Amino acid sequence: MSKILLISELSEFSKDIIYTLTNSESECILSEKTPENILSQIELYNPDIVLIDTKYNDCEILTKQIKSKTIQQNTQVLLLLEKGKDIDFLNFADGFVTTPVCKNILIHTINSHIKIKKSLEQLNENNRELARSLYQLNVLYNTSSQFAGTLDKNKLYNIMLESLEKTLSFDISSALVFGMEGESKFYINSLYEPTESLKKALALRVGLEYKNLFENQPLPYNINLEGMEIIQNVKPSHIQNIFDLRILNYDSLFAPIKVGEHFFGVIELFRSTPFTKEDVTCFQSIVHQVALPLRSATLYEEIKNTNIKLEKLERLKSDFVSIVSHELRTPLTPINNSLEIVLSGQTGEISQDARNFINMAKRNVSRLSGIIEDLLDLSRVQTGKLDFKYKITNLTPSLELIQKTFEQVSGEKNINVSLEIKNNLPDVYADTHRIEQIISNLVSNALKFTPKDGSIKIIAKTVEEGEIDTENLISPIQKIQGKYIKISVIDTGIGIKKENIPKIFEKFSQIENSLTRNIGGVGLGLSITKELLDAHLGAISVISEENKGSDFSFFIPVLDDKKIFIMDINHALSSSEETAILHIKENPSCGFIVHICEQKLIKLTKKSKEYKKDNDYFVLLPDTSQSALDFMQKSIIQESQKPEWEKCAIVLKKASSNQDGKELLKILNKIDL
Amino acid sequence: MKKILIVDDERDIVETLAFMLKAKGFECICAYDGEEGLKLAKECSPDLIILDVMMPKINGYKICRLLKYDSKYKNIPIIMVTARSQEEDKEIGEETGADEYITKPFEFNDIVEAINRYIK
Repeated sequence: MSKILLISELSEFSKDIIYTLTNSESECILSEKTPENILSQIELYNPDIVLIDTKYNDCEILTKQIKSKTIQQNTQVLLLLEKGKDIDFLNFADGFVTTPVCKNILIHTINSHIKIKKSLEQLNENNRELARSLYQLNVLYNTSSQFAGTLDKNKLYNIMLESLEKTLSFDISSALVFGMEGESKFYINSLYEPTESLKKALALRVGLEYKNLFENQPLPYNINLEGMEIIQNVKPSHIQNIFDLRILNYDSLFAPIKVGEHFFGVIELFRSTPFTKEDVTCFQSIVHQVALPLRSATLYEEIKNTNIKLEKLERLKSDFVSIVSHELRTPLTPINNSLEIVLSGQTGEISQDARNFINMAKRNVSRLSGIIEDLLDLSRVQTGKLDFKYKITNLTPSLELIQKTFEQVSGEKNINVSLEIKNNLPDVYADTHRIEQIISNLVSNALKFTPKDGSIKIIAKTVEEGEIDTENLISPIQKIQGKYIKISVIDTGIGIKKENIPKIFEKFSQIENSLTRNIGGVGLGLSITKELLDAHLGAISVISEENKGSDFSFFIPVLDDKKIFIMDINHALSSSEETAILHIKENPSCGFIVHICEQKLIKLTKKSKEYKKDNDYFVLLPDTSQSALDFMQKSIIQESQKPEWEKCAIVLKKASSNQDGKELLKILNKIDL
Repeated sequence: MKKILIVDDERDIVETLAFMLKAKGFECICAYDGEEGLKLAKECSPDLIILDVMMPKINGYKICRLLKYDSKYKNIPIIMVTARSQEEDKEIGEETGADEYITKPFEFNDIVEAINRYIK
């Protein structure tokens, strides 16, 4: 039934209209006397239609006021207009009926305007729905991008709940979440504090619904409702209210969180107002969306755990190698001593044959100790215990020394070992001893695999980054940059098949063929060589042709501040020293922080090194204790008195934990080799 | 005749070393564990000590430290001998005050050269 308010004086005329309208299934009342009262009457009565008699005083003002006041309600304002009379405020009203009134025209006009009002209301409602859907869509979109950004299970759940709350504004949610090792957790997110009995009821309900999902089939996860941990999150609110069992009468939505066969949990929402069809779709799509990243997160967790186990295993293996090698060394000492005693003739004269055989034994003892040394080196490299003594050095003397040493040994096989140094070699930042080890390794390999009357050439020269033949590099240099020294060892030996080249850099490998059985070595040399070169930011390349010979070339960067800094950091990270890296973001608003840090901090350690790239300033502080670090941090803050400075300077410390190491590596990546 | 104390739990090492050093004209005293080594070091006042690191009862570092921080014995040169050759071990050896540090397996000549540096 529509409600109509007639604004007019009490008269036969108005009585007539009221009578007509009341008889046509409408409710029609007459207005109060004064305009003020009329306005408040409209507010209270909320009519669908206001009929204004244009003979009424103040009808113009009233029309304007009423129209503007009821625009939200879509109230239709109609004027009763004397036939033949014109008024200028007609456009403020929604329509008019001429007087004297024809009964049917009046009723018809009123009904049409009632229809208009209803249509307008529907339109408004649709608009609101549309806006809400748009909002939900927006949240959904944001949610999916948020989901993509994390591999943390808890964060994923939180993102899900947050977007559910934004889109559906539920009163209380309960979620059962399955953990890795069968333990399950129960989360309640609520507007107000839930009562104990409600918590139990919610858990029971979710549990039952979960079991219902599988009917008679076995459950993917067994849940123990009794001992379940309840994690509760209540929104801070100034309204003192609680939720009790009555909430179970609210409208609810329930869904499992799963991807294919993988189950992560179930979730249920309650809301005092009923959920619409759109709400259900929205709910389903959010819950569905979280499942996939949850699956990735679970896999990621598994991989992480496997990695930790593998790391341990690797360490164990290295430790084993290291211990065994130490043990092997000890008996070698008396063997060597005994042989020396016999050879010295102090135990009596020995024949020339005996002397030859004892010399053979001695040679093999030193070979064995060489192998043990290799094993130890390898385990040290892997555990990062290998100590490099980097310094600015020139490799020319090392090359000459090695050539001389091998010239003597190679005499037996009549192999010519030559050395060619093109131009003067620039300095490098390297551990000379290790570089010598690399060259010796390569030359002694060449010697092993080169038949009689062959030749071995050692060639050293400087090359530009563009001249490095990256195709033949065994493991690529992270980023080839600047100049390198290239040292090649070229032999006329048996050569290596192309497909076998990567194999020779694996541990304990020698290419299986009848020839190599005659040749000694456990096949660790090249594998160590590669590791040593990695530490020097260098690389090795191999070009070989079967039965013609091989070219083993390695590259060491020519002295370069950036590379020196990175090698120092790498070294500090792998050594047992306590090292800190100070990372300062120089931002224009506090540009002098670098200066302060330099003054305050570098005093603390004499060996510090600095490196600057764009706005990032790095200081490497080897051998820095925790207390020194604390002091630094404090002085930075003290000096600045501004909290934002804390963000500009980050002090990172290398501790025994892997995590810190990773943090530092992240910084290393920033330096951008 | 110069007196050399050899301390090592590896009997074979001690014996071969003693044999060779005797042939070079040194008098050798042998100890086969840390405790005995420390005792003999204090009783016999040797001219030089060859000391193994890993030994039962008292390890070589400790003996070295005990002797080097005692004014009565601190002038006796000590050559540390060990199967461990990592740099950090060497540093510990130097910290404890050892005069020389030699890695096993060693060449006899290395030991003789080292001894000659301290005993003239």
